[in-house]
Amino acid sequence: MELRKYIGRRLVQVVIIFFVILTVLFLLFRLAPGDPVSRMVDPDMTPEDAHRLKVELGLDKPLGIQYLVYLKNFFTGHFGYSFHYGEPVVNIIWSRLPNTVLLFTTSIILSALVGVFLGKIASWHKGKKTDSILTIGALVTHTLFLPWLALIMIWLFSYKFGWFPITGMISEDVWLDPDSGFIAKSLDVMYHMVLPLSTLFLIHFGAYLLIMRSSMLETLKEDYILTARAKGLEEKVIRDHHAAPNAALPVVTSVGLSLAFSINGGALTETVFTWPGIGRELVFSVSQNDYPLAQASFLLIAAVVLVSNVVVDVLYAYLDPRIRY
Amino acid sequence: MEQRPQRASCRWFLVWAYAAMLFSGLLLAGSGASAGETLKIGILEEPKTLNVWRATDAWSNKVLGLLYQPLYVRDPKTLELIPWLAAEQPFFDEKDLSYTVKLRPATWSDGTELTSEDVAFTGNFINEFKVPEDYSKWDFISKIEAPDKHTVKFYLKEPQATFLTRTLTTPIVQKKEWVDRIEAAKKTEKPLGTLLNEKIDSPVSSGPFILKEWREGSYLFLQKNPRFFGTGQKIQGRLLGPYIDGVIFKLFGTSDAAILALKKGTIDMFWWGVQPGYMEDLRANPDIELFQNEKSSLYYMGFNVRKPPFNDPNLRRAIATLVDEDFIIKRILQGYGVKMHSIVPSGNAFWYCPDVPKYGEGLDREGRIKKAFDILRQAGYTWQTAPVEASGKVVNGDGIRLPDGSPMEKFTILTPPADYDPHRAMCGMMMQEWLRMLGIPAYSKPMAFGALLQQVKARHEFDAFVLGYGNLSLDPDYLRNFFLSSNDKPNGWNMSGYNNPEFDKIADGSAKALDRDKRQALIWEMQKIVMRDVPYLPLYNPNLIEAVQKGRFTGWVQMLGGIGNLWTFCELKPAK
Repeated sequence: MELRKYIGRRLVQVVIIFFVILTVLFLLFRLAPGDPVSRMVDPDMTPEDAHRLKVELGLDKPLGIQYLVYLKNFFTGHFGYSFHYGEPVVNIIWSRLPNTVLLFTTSIILSALVGVFLGKIASWHKGKKTDSILTIGALVTHTLFLPWLALIMIWLFSYKFGWFPITGMISEDVWLDPDSGFIAKSLDVMYHMVLPLSTLFLIHFGAYLLIMRSSMLETLKEDYILTARAKGLEEKVIRDHHAAPNAALPVVTSVGLSLAFSINGGALTETVFTWPGIGRELVFSVSQNDYPLAQASFLLIAAVVLVSNVVVDVLYAYLDPRIRY
Repeated sequence: MEQRPQRASCRWFLVWAYAAMLFSGLLLAGSGASAGETLKIGILEEPKTLNVWRATDAWSNKVLGLLYQPLYVRDPKTLELIPWLAAEQPFFDEKDLSYTVKLRPATWSDGTELTSEDVAFTGNFINEFKVPEDYSKWDFISKIEAPDKHTVKFYLKEPQATFLTRTLTTPIVQKKEWVDRIEAAKKTEKPLGTLLNEKIDSPVSSGPFILKEWREGSYLFLQKNPRFFGTGQKIQGRLLGPYIDGVIFKLFGTSDAAILALKKGTIDMFWWGVQPGYMEDLRANPDIELFQNEKSSLYYMGFNVRKPPFNDPNLRRAIATLVDEDFIIKRILQGYGVKMHSIVPSGNAFWYCPDVPKYGEGLDREGRIKKAFDILRQAGYTWQTAPVEASGKVVNGDGIRLPDGSPMEKFTILTPPADYDPHRAMCGMMMQEWLRMLGIPAYSKPMAFGALLQQVKARHEFDAFVLGYGNLSLDPDYLRNFFLSSNDKPNGWNMSGYNNPEFDKIADGSAKALDRDKRQALIWEMQKIVMRDVPYLPLYNPNLIEAVQKGRFTGWVQMLGGIGNLWTFCELKPAK
């Protein structure tokens, strides 16, 4: 009952925060210098043409009216048309979102699984060679500059060795071939995914390793670990069944939020690997003052992050029976 | 305890899945189908739309230019207008101010005939809906008639010099493709907005290619149009194809990746200017061929002549003398560019006036400072520390005062930031240093591009700026647009606020001059006036360097603006 009340209270908070974000987003984009029409620096376009275009885009109306239209559109589920694509923003987002989720969610899950596993090992061998190698390795890969690593990966594995495609998500040779079936096309996507996934994995697994390691080290000092040892349990059992589940809570928070943020993709990764995801669109829409597309993308991210926060908090209670709301 | 084997199997499954992914990659690495006779082009951004009325970006227009065709196009060598969908040069009737254009036999990609109805429909649609990008090219036309299937007659409200160069080079659309859409749009609250938001999945083409498939975010495939009117025809002595099966536009997120793909042979051409930083590497590569062409572009410094101190032409001339274009070309552009003496690029040979004042030409740094000092001293400027001593020695000037005795206030030169355009940002920095040598308190200030435009074009709150046009029209009418006093308004093209009745008169005359030679004389006169008063100071015109795979295709046609032109796509042949 308490948990239900807690969830209800949190959901109300989420709605309020979401409304604030809705308003702040609207204002932020409108107050930013520049407008979508002034970017069209073509001398063929007269000020009258530019004004006509503004009228068509609804940018000639006072800010208050634009805000009301924006709210109306939001509550009717219509996010408007992208200024640059001339398409409903919902269509653009839905066409890019699955690509982003595929790459980034896979990378987070993979990084978290490996990071947690190696973090456990490192903490168990604290101060020894294994710990040093794993910790230093994690620190080095985690602090690498992503675009640099991505370019090195492309140069080495695509250009020098020729093992993987240089960039992209699909190969036109496979997709234009009428004989290519579902399996060939799926394999093609997996093939293109190897380099971006490996790059993201190298960057991210270190963070989970370090979180898990430090959490484990704290947990290993607990009395129940001493008790387990006193009971004569195997070291592996103590590590995997007594210490690790208790140490995993911070990792759960981190993974939960990372998964939520994964829908915004990564502008850098998507740009360098030409991955047709939402991250590139987000950057493009902001830089080109494409308000409807930028607003809808940010609102989607805000909604997912807010809801994920609630889910992570509830998950805490499930994972750790000591936590009660 | 019993769960352990399950966990271990889960872990092993993940390891195997990842290994399978790697293995699938290696299997596919050697299995790519042959590219055949399809030209693969690397592009940096995806076309935003295939709706020809919505397309304002260069990437959409690169693709649309191969689908929708105009009545006239430019000859690659002479840049003269030559008939394309038209069969011959237009006939002008002075009595009723009309032009008659005869069409050559042509077919749309859906098999229907391209007729004068389509041409009339295109013009009438633009005028009725006031299509933003095109309306100014058509608004002076009072009536369009289609007396027969292959004749179009345009009636003008008044003589208009740009009718041939801008109106008749507008792409023609198929009436059948748009007529129902227009009728439906008219019933909506915003008909134009509705039409601009139309998604065009399969454009009906009159060009050398048709759209076969567009995988958004990955590639766009154009296939040879078997109904292209030009196939087998000789136009301007060129026997047209296309001789290739198709064109694949392949998207790359960065120039680095696109250049690697070109070197690797994944693409045959990179349709974007190669930055000087890649040149050494590409020149050394025997598989790469480079083309260097002049662009129709203009990068310049603009002054706010509405207010002091830049309302004084002497100060602007002194600055023009101080700015060392040779340095900009050699050091900032690393030699890949040409100096601009006028607003019209020298590559646009017919309209470029070579006889304009060339400030500081042939002088070294000291010579420039002395010359600029003389200009300002004679105009009444004074210094606390003069930049040129009585002995003729050049020192750092300080405390410059305007002719009325008031000290010159600090001013800013707004430039785009280095990540947007390093050349323009660097030019701003250099100009700051050169001006300070004369004691002029200049400060270069990089600013986000959108904010810069807002400040300069919309609000006119600036002292000086550095901007550019990467793709100027080959018709020099922009010269009129840039400096006509009536265009000095918020969001108007006269950003400097230049106001000269003498210029306005000649400019208006140039817009109505139907005789090409007479118009040339007027355009030259306009350039002389502008370069005498220097509201804009042209800085440079970068060369366009394009890279292709050597030995895959032959027949690249070079012209002003590079090899990525309609002629190349009509003449390119697979190498034997």
